Amino acid sequence: MNDLELDVRPILRHGGEPFGAIMGAVARLAKGQRLKLYATFKPEPLFHVMASQGFKNEAIPLEDGEWMVIFAPIDGERVAAVESVESQAASPETWPDPAHYLDCAELDPPEPMVRILAQLEIMADGEVLFALLGREPIFLFPELRARGHAWAGDFDETGEAYRLMIRAGGRS
Amino acid sequence: MPGASLSRWTLTYFACALVCLLVAESLMVMGFGYPGAAIDAPETLILVHLVAIGWLSLLMCGALFQFVPVLVARPLLGEALPPVALAAILLGLLALLAGFAGLSDLIAVPPEMLPLGGLLLVAGFGAVMLSLGRTLWAARPLALPARFVVVGLAALLGTVLLGETFALVLSGRLGGDMALSLLLNGVPLHALLGLGGWMTFTAMGVSYRLLAMFMLAPETERYSTRLVLAAGTLALVLVAAATPFAMSAGAGLAGLLLAAAATGLLAMGVYASDVVALYRQRKRRNIELNAVAAIGAFAALLASAMLLVALLATGQLQTRIGALTYVFAFGWLGGLGLAKLYKIIAFLTWLECFAPVLGKRQTPRVQDLVDEPRAAPWFGAYYAAVGFATLCLLVDLPTAFRLFVGMQLFATLAIARHFYRSRELLNVPPELRRGFARPHPFLPPARKVP
Repeated sequence: MNDLELDVRPILRHGGEPFGAIMGAVARLAKGQRLKLYATFKPEPLFHVMASQGFKNEAIPLEDGEWMVIFAPIDGERVAAVESVESQAASPETWPDPAHYLDCAELDPPEPMVRILAQLEIMADGEVLFALLGREPIFLFPELRARGHAWAGDFDETGEAYRLMIRAGGRS
Repeated sequence: MPGASLSRWTLTYFACALVCLLVAESLMVMGFGYPGAAIDAPETLILVHLVAIGWLSLLMCGALFQFVPVLVARPLLGEALPPVALAAILLGLLALLAGFAGLSDLIAVPPEMLPLGGLLLVAGFGAVMLSLGRTLWAARPLALPARFVVVGLAALLGTVLLGETFALVLSGRLGGDMALSLLLNGVPLHALLGLGGWMTFTAMGVSYRLLAMFMLAPETERYSTRLVLAAGTLALVLVAAATPFAMSAGAGLAGLLLAAAATGLLAMGVYASDVVALYRQRKRRNIELNAVAAIGAFAALLASAMLLVALLATGQLQTRIGALTYVFAFGWLGGLGLAKLYKIIAFLTWLECFAPVLGKRQTPRVQDLVDEPRAAPWFGAYYAAVGFATLCLLVDLPTAFRLFVGMQLFATLAIARHFYRSRELLNVPPELRRGFARPHPFLPPARKVP
């Protein structure tokens, strides 16, 4: 099977945000197909996002500091625990791909919670937010539950970053 | 169901604890108890238990009801227990203090008052241990900070059981050579398990997580932290193992305590290096007042360790134990408590008031609730007063001691006023505060916070 190629270098050079394009490409991947991504820098935050979706990565440096990254699906990847309110007990595999991304790894509490809740307020129902945090956002969960959002989260392999996917739910 | 909610009774615990601290400091300013009275006089025992149970233990319990769920990322089990425990501990403390007052004929109370107070304290702290213990048990395997709390709770159990035994002996309910010998020789064990095990060990565990969290230091489990846990636990086991020797007035008592002191000092030394590493590796350049003020507490811990070594070397431990206990209780434990309260009160109040509307309307930041430039000098004054008061105890200057305790009382009052201002949103700019109800200073919200 051919790799799906995506070059986000033009988007990045124009100061754009390629996250939506990348997630769109991931959504088009056939089962077992790999994604070959070209970027102007090593897209490390993306590695966490893709790992949470069950992809391992291989990053290859190109000339002028640019990078090519091959994302390959891992068989039998562990699925993160899902928390949601009753009516939305759907698994995250059926969720749309994340349309928004927040890197909160370098923020001290409660700033990640502030940003995530603010972002969720401007998202449409059903849209998915991916957030990267330095620790489990313990006080955020009761608030997500109260507002009817569904979420799935876990620590990465190193235990240093917490990956959180939230699907915006109905407003309570 | 992951996540932790706000602990409803934590602020009530904090308020009761602060009242006990202020009363104890006022009594010392008036010349009540040591150094005016003997170190083992009933008046001194009133002071010691007002500080150890009223101030430090209530503070620690209130903090643990909030932070054990945070440490293990699970809700607290036995949610109905905190208010019951608080009532039992407060009543028990009152009965205990009345019992001590009866011993020195300050008031006329039946001799059973002491063991009755002790029983209430066993019940109250038992409820605390039950609630926290179940929560911790359900969260196994535990991360390192939570294991410190487990050891601390075990030490608390030993402390209250020894205390109740003393109370039974003092009231004449329990007799015999062994019981009497335990009362005569076992008081250091009671004090070490309480101040060193329950409070210090628990504070160490919680501090690992809190410092890393608010200074953005890496929270990797260090080998050195395991060493602190192992050495500290060994020191406490040695203290507990000394109990039979105290009962039989055996010769092994002093040796065991010396071994406990050595391993305890090792644990403190490695803990100090861990704390320095946490401050050094932090990603956040400008640290907040709570982390700055905590440095004073760590300095007091270091000073206590050095003073202990000096007193042991010069054979003056018996005569100067009051000064050592003072700097340890008020500098290290009390200082750390006041410093961390400065953050915890603002943080919990912010969560209670603003979390439900985050993202929906403009809200203040946590730091808008505090006024660090105005509060900072009072922490300096507090530590300076504790330091000078300790010096006065070392060189026998009782009047100067009372003067410096007065300064300490004044600084504590000023810090407590800052707590109140932060809790009542008085530092928040009016335009950000508009439309928000002020929370009750120390009672839980009527509606359960989600």
